[in-house]
Amino acid sequence: MINPERFRYVRILFITILFIFIMIYISLTSGTFDLTIREVFNTLLRLNSSPEHDAVIFDFRLPRILLAGLVGFALGIAGAVVQGITRNGLADPGILGINAGAGAAIVVFMFFFQYQISDTGWQAIMIQPLFGLIGGIVATTLIYFFSWKAGRIEPQRLLLSGIAISSGFGAFTVFLSLKMKATDFEMATVWISGSVYNANWHYILSIFPWLFLLIPIIFRKAYLLDLFQLEETSLKNLGVSVEKEQSILLLSSVGLVSACVSVSGSIGFIGLMSPHIAKQLVGIKHRYALPISGIIGALLVITSDYIAKSIFSPIELPVGIVISIVGVPYFLYLLIKVKK
Amino acid sequence: MSILSVQKATTRYEQNLVFQDLDLDIKKGVVTSIIGPNGCGKSTLLKTIGRILKPKSGKIYLQDQELTTIPTKKIAKHLALLPQNPIAPSELNVEELISYGRYPHLKNINKLTSEDKDIIEWSMEITHTLSFRDRQLHNLSGGQRQKVWLAMALAQKTEIILLDEPTTFLDLAHQLEVLQIIERLNADFHCTIVMVLHDINHAARFSHEIVAMKKGSIVAKGTPAQLITTEILEQVFQIRARVMTDPHNGSPVCYGYESTLPV
Repeated sequence: MINPERFRYVRILFITILFIFIMIYISLTSGTFDLTIREVFNTLLRLNSSPEHDAVIFDFRLPRILLAGLVGFALGIAGAVVQGITRNGLADPGILGINAGAGAAIVVFMFFFQYQISDTGWQAIMIQPLFGLIGGIVATTLIYFFSWKAGRIEPQRLLLSGIAISSGFGAFTVFLSLKMKATDFEMATVWISGSVYNANWHYILSIFPWLFLLIPIIFRKAYLLDLFQLEETSLKNLGVSVEKEQSILLLSSVGLVSACVSVSGSIGFIGLMSPHIAKQLVGIKHRYALPISGIIGALLVITSDYIAKSIFSPIELPVGIVISIVGVPYFLYLLIKVKK
Repeated sequence: MSILSVQKATTRYEQNLVFQDLDLDIKKGVVTSIIGPNGCGKSTLLKTIGRILKPKSGKIYLQDQELTTIPTKKIAKHLALLPQNPIAPSELNVEELISYGRYPHLKNINKLTSEDKDIIEWSMEITHTLSFRDRQLHNLSGGQRQKVWLAMALAQKTEIILLDEPTTFLDLAHQLEVLQIIERLNADFHCTIVMVLHDINHAARFSHEIVAMKKGSIVAKGTPAQLITTEILEQVFQIRARVMTDPHNGSPVCYGYESTLPV
């Protein structure tokens, strides 16, 4: 007998992946100069390719699409985890200030260290996520500290302290980037608002280990995330080590977010929107909702990046801004829905 | 023989002391009810026994082992606690929630064995929840929901079950049904039951032992006939109660009372 929930999951999985391929196709073929599908395939499969096509696809378009996809996937999953363990559908790594914390730490890193080791830029790119992680953990610790009341996290306090910490770190980041050289400042500003336009293979390599390590940890705990939807007494009664599991899951998602921030800046709202869309599509079981949330995240970032680079072409918008245009109303809509 | 033993336990809730140096032995295979006025610490005591709250000092023994030395997942195989207002996502379906009770027994957390499924089936049968096993929680009445939660506790297959006011917010028929399920668990499956009850008559009818608490200490302990008396009820609840013996089943019944508090 086929489990109907599983059937629905497989169907949605298939459809969303199909959408991703369609978006990849569109992004690969269209741009400042259009390629035909034959040219794309010839280049990808290394059949009589031309150096120009190689450059367009391998140096510009492909790494950018892949990075957008990976970042979206990771942010979607991190969002689902954060919402799951806080039992709060309005939680999102961006709103909670994890992005801002990671971003501030990375700007500190850029400001003080990157120039000294700029001849080994490759290493700098690999170290960047680590700095992001430290910033992310600092932000998370602060949020926990402020929203902790009587042995538990209060949802309202969590959101409020997250917003406060987010603007605090944001201000610090702007302050530091203002002290940079004019060219670096411009770079930093684009990066802060969230962009993948300077994507390259090094970036992809630098976040890949994080995703490869942390996503399986999270997937294996999907069942626990289901249990986390019960209240704390029931959880403890079932023999769940609540604090331990909560920390593992939270740290894993902070790790994912920090890796993403280090390569693409602060892309907000993906972690908020994707889990909601995923749960609408496949129900509340995390074993199904987690992967779909990741895929929806990837689809959102790839699509938004395509819009960002083509709508005012040749001028590019940071992808984070395009996502915010959709994300802000969505957040408000959720707020109203929660109130009811 | 006592299966649970509380020794000189002191528990605080935030800054307030709830009880101090409290001793209590729970006999194996017996239904024990804890009664007392609001705020006397009965719920806190139950949560402390169920290791949901950590005592500030003192020890709790499960069989002969101290509770803090046993891994929490292992405790969950011996002791199940049903909290007063349990919460679950409203979209969750009944059987799914009940299956969560198997969590402490799972070796592979993503897969239920046929034994697990049998036990889930059994707990739905005992609690009369089979007929709405596929429904989502928000489509259930209060009484149905309470039975589903009871089924989840049963799915843990523990020899001890702790229940915090299992009949609150239920209508009379459902109150009785829940208590009869509990009675059967004790009689047929030899479960040790400890429950907090508000209703004195329910406690008198469905328990072997009653523990009366007031202001964080145990005032009296004994059989219903020993406990449900005018003197003890006055001392515990500040009421002047009229008590008789129910000719139907021989348990004491309080059939009327006046307050002794100054009006």
